[in-house]
Amino acid sequence: MSELQLTGVRKAYGGLEVIKGVDLDIKTGEFVVFVGPSGCGKSTLLRMIAGLEEITSGDLIIDDIRVNDVDPSKRGIAMVFQSYALYPHMTVRENMGFALRFAGVPKPEIEKRVKEAANILELEPLLDRKPKQLSGGQRQRVAIGRAIVRHPKIFLFDEPLSNLDAELRVHMRIEIARLHKQLAATIIYVTHDQVEAMTLADKIVVLRSGVVEQVGSPLELYDDPANLFVAGFIGSPKMNFLKGVIEIGGDGRAYARLPDHGNEKITVDPKGLKEGMPVTIGIRPEHFKEDGSASLDLAIDMLEHLGGETFAYARHGRGDLIVIETKNGRGLKSGDRIAARFDPACALVFDEGGKRMR
Amino acid sequence: MRTKSTNILPALFTYGFVGLMAFLSVFPFIWMVLGATNASIDIIKGKMLPGEALATNVANFFTLVNVPLVFWNSAKVTILATVLTLAVSSLAGYGFEIFRSRQRERLYSAMLLTLMIPFAALMIPLFIMMGKAGLINTHIAVVLPTIGSAFVVFYFRQSTKAFPSELRDAAKVDGLKEWQIFLYIYVPVMRSTYAAAFIIVFMTAWNNYLWPLIVLQSNETKTITLVISSLASAYYPDYGVVMVGTILATLPTLAVFFFMQRQFVQGMLGSVK
Repeated sequence: MSELQLTGVRKAYGGLEVIKGVDLDIKTGEFVVFVGPSGCGKSTLLRMIAGLEEITSGDLIIDDIRVNDVDPSKRGIAMVFQSYALYPHMTVRENMGFALRFAGVPKPEIEKRVKEAANILELEPLLDRKPKQLSGGQRQRVAIGRAIVRHPKIFLFDEPLSNLDAELRVHMRIEIARLHKQLAATIIYVTHDQVEAMTLADKIVVLRSGVVEQVGSPLELYDDPANLFVAGFIGSPKMNFLKGVIEIGGDGRAYARLPDHGNEKITVDPKGLKEGMPVTIGIRPEHFKEDGSASLDLAIDMLEHLGGETFAYARHGRGDLIVIETKNGRGLKSGDRIAARFDPACALVFDEGGKRMR
Repeated sequence: MRTKSTNILPALFTYGFVGLMAFLSVFPFIWMVLGATNASIDIIKGKMLPGEALATNVANFFTLVNVPLVFWNSAKVTILATVLTLAVSSLAGYGFEIFRSRQRERLYSAMLLTLMIPFAALMIPLFIMMGKAGLINTHIAVVLPTIGSAFVVFYFRQSTKAFPSELRDAAKVDGLKEWQIFLYIYVPVMRSTYAAAFIIVFMTAWNNYLWPLIVLQSNETKTITLVISSLASAYYPDYGVVMVGTILATLPTLAVFFFMQRQFVQGMLGSVK
């Protein structure tokens, strides 16, 4: 069943359109992550779903009811903010029960729900503390608790982990994933951190300049990106892009000639390709393998040894840096010349406009 | 490396300057307290030592002035002015900052321009307005012109810039209407700003002299500042009595400041942490 639907949703501030017609279906219990660079409109879209921003045109439907003009508190949503937005003059208990108090929920019921949420989030010993007496992680848990007590249909998270340090972020990420399983809740989560997106999401929505670039499961987006933007955005370190020109052989096979790499030719799938067509070839850092049939002649610029693997940053002449992930990189050093081999079947081809050719 | 002796001169100058400024600030208070213990003639002669006329001066003050009535008048005017000014100006400051529009910015600029108009230029039109409203010789006439204070609105607007917009968003998601957000979230969160504004407005209202002098005409309505002034402007003013009155008039503002000092400093530094 579809819990939330966006149909042709647009948002404009005067003449400036920031959300340019978003269509999206989110099913009950799904964990959906909006991801994209700063200013792509992901937070605005989330705020529109919450009712904190007006929808200029289009329909927002929750549980088959159009809620464009419905008050935020009556949409059946709860939101967790980046800065936690805890009321500083109230205790944890009061913060968590505040919305229920205003909704006219009887006191014993409020107490019960606060206790339940505190139990789930291990907040019981902190219930009588004020937010300023809590650590960042504890505040974040209270903010989540405040959302849980409302028993919402949909949880909205707006970059909830970006104020936490790296270690705590990993811990809270696991907590949120656990909570999603435990509550079987529908979650819409905004982040610019693609590791969060990849690890948490059932479905990722990649946004750029107010447009949905692609929707899919994390691995779908990683393995089968629809365009150059998604290919570059998903994955860390990001995908390598090489400029190429298509040559069609007499046997009907297609090759991409790489002018910046000594006119090295790699075999590509000929579907949709024409002689002389400029293309971009995408190769992920981990797709460089010693047994690959294609090869790039590169000089190592810099190395990052992470213990288990090494990232080699290399280039051909004065060309762009190419990132290579290798398990056998301990013996490498800057300035070494290497033949970076890869399987051409792993290379993705994008046309001049950035659209994936397949 | 610098030697110690070369560092002493600037420090000496700084301490000397700060000390002089502190003395200039405190001197009127010392003079006021010493004056209250001396007879008028000794004060005129410039005696700066404690005297023995304190009891006489206090007794004379209580004989000449209906102290409970005068204090009640001052308290009434001050509390009314303070509460109403804080309520109206904080609402206006919140409104100007939160609900921005080009028209409101123009209105705000126009309001700030009123800070440049001296009160002397407003006195006559205000007096005529109060006269037409039949409010001359009432405390309402003293309070009304002070409520919409451009300075306090400006102060609240500046402080509201530090009020996190996400708190307002969270309150909206929690189901609060705008007035409830103001009352249940903004006011408690900004309490240091309110405390600082309270002290400023309270002191201004308590010490207000010129406007009450114009609109309050009967002895039954006069405030403490007017009464002390009338004692000082008598044909043979008794300065010992005037000093006793001045001490008594200073006490409430001192008390307010000492009780709210911490919040005042916090409010001046910024309410939201």
